[in-house]
Amino acid sequence: MFKVSPLRKRQVLGSIIGLVLGGALFYILTLDSTESYVSIGPMNTGHQELNCFACHADAKGNLLQQVQSNISHAVGAREHGVEFGTQDVTVDNCLQCHDRANDRHPTYRFSEPRFKEAITHIDATTCITCHSEHGNERVSVANINYCMNCHQDLEVEDDPLDVSHQKLIAQEAWNTCIQCHDFHGNHKYDVPEKLKDTIPMKYIKAYFDGGKDPYGDHKKYKALSQEAWLESLDK
Amino acid sequence: MRILLKTILLGTSICMLHSCGGVPEDKADTATVENAFSVEEVLEMVSKENDVTRTLYTKAIVGKGKIQGMKFDEDWRKDDVEAGPLPALFLRGVATSLRKSPVPLGLYLGSDFPVNAANKFEGKQAELFTQIKKDHKPQFFFDEDQKLHTAMFADLASADACVTCHNKHPQTTKSDWKLGDVMGATTWQYPKDSLTYKETVDVLSSYAKGTVDVYMEYLDEIENFKSSEKPEIGDKWPEEGFYLPSAEVFLDSVKKLSSYETVKHLVVTSE
Repeated sequence: MFKVSPLRKRQVLGSIIGLVLGGALFYILTLDSTESYVSIGPMNTGHQELNCFACHADAKGNLLQQVQSNISHAVGAREHGVEFGTQDVTVDNCLQCHDRANDRHPTYRFSEPRFKEAITHIDATTCITCHSEHGNERVSVANINYCMNCHQDLEVEDDPLDVSHQKLIAQEAWNTCIQCHDFHGNHKYDVPEKLKDTIPMKYIKAYFDGGKDPYGDHKKYKALSQEAWLESLDK
Repeated sequence: MRILLKTILLGTSICMLHSCGGVPEDKADTATVENAFSVEEVLEMVSKENDVTRTLYTKAIVGKGKIQGMKFDEDWRKDDVEAGPLPALFLRGVATSLRKSPVPLGLYLGSDFPVNAANKFEGKQAELFTQIKKDHKPQFFFDEDQKLHTAMFADLASADACVTCHNKHPQTTKSDWKLGDVMGATTWQYPKDSLTYKETVDVLSSYAKGTVDVYMEYLDEIENFKSSEKPEIGDKWPEEGFYLPSAEVFLDSVKKLSSYETVKHLVVTSE
């Protein structure tokens, strides 16, 4: 019926090979064992044992439904588009394992209007401002002087420190805050009273890069493991 | 012929794609339930609930508990501190619980003379708080940056415990507080300009749940006391001796104290 040219045969053969290869790649790269090849970078400290789904939950519907919904949205036949592939990772994902009643700087507090100016310098309403994932580190913030955005007017009654807090603030020595106080306040340790006894900055930097915890191992709350998190979802 | 084949192939693809159906729209997106309350009305209701609950906690638990020898501390969550939450920390705990609930309600406490400098009002809040101190009336505004409807309500010194603790606090920035003073203001935020009856009840329920969550955390802390005497927990209150009400008894009292205006508002609207 049709006269098929040799060129067309090659095109069909190429298409079949492409489809088979594409299908195989899709199958292989969606296996749990190949997650590290798909990841955009190594996981941060403490997250190495997590599977992708711990943060990247499947979006609603299957891929064809998502494509159709978004095309419908694009042509105005549907009010809202839908997430494609996986859901966006939000603060709520982080808090499912890291939420703590004693958090000294919980993200929600910074949604209050009076932090409007501060969050233009450091957006503390979201975890990833300081803890960007897939960087093989613990803290990704560029400068350690972030306390300056809210604590310029700090006054400490009966200041126990040999160099007063007020003096440190006047000197703009904002890096020294973190040498005594861990940002989230989950460590139990004796805060030094002499500046020379504070944690040296090189240990703080090493900790931020994923190294040993200089504030000690005594924590009131520990983050949930993936297993404990899954169990918490069943409750 | 080739164009016909391509058209058939394209048509078939579109049909296949369409026949799979899209992702169902969220019910909330398509719901046509009538909104019953403005956001201002709802925030006033929940603020009144907050007033009665905090007054109960401040007077009946902190005030009477202190007379019995119970301790309350701003560092109550620390391992080496064996104490209960002070009223401001109680509110902070409620705010944390709200954040975890599915209801998008924000709650904050601030002042122009806070014990903790980080809680000092700035900008728009400081400006509106000046007015609140003058007339004790709530202030409403729309936070353009976050697209949130925001309300501020006076936080009054309603019990002796408020005045004495703040006046004597080592970090206090004002030591002449009197009963009835506007010590600060609560700030509440919600994303929608009007709420359905169900959404309104959800807001009020989340607040009530928040109070019980914090109170239960306090009871858990007591359970872990090592060197301090543990009050007996049951159906008695500190007024009667070294006792604390259980979470159920506390919630029961919170429910009984529910602001009359709130209940009236809800009942009238549901009829």
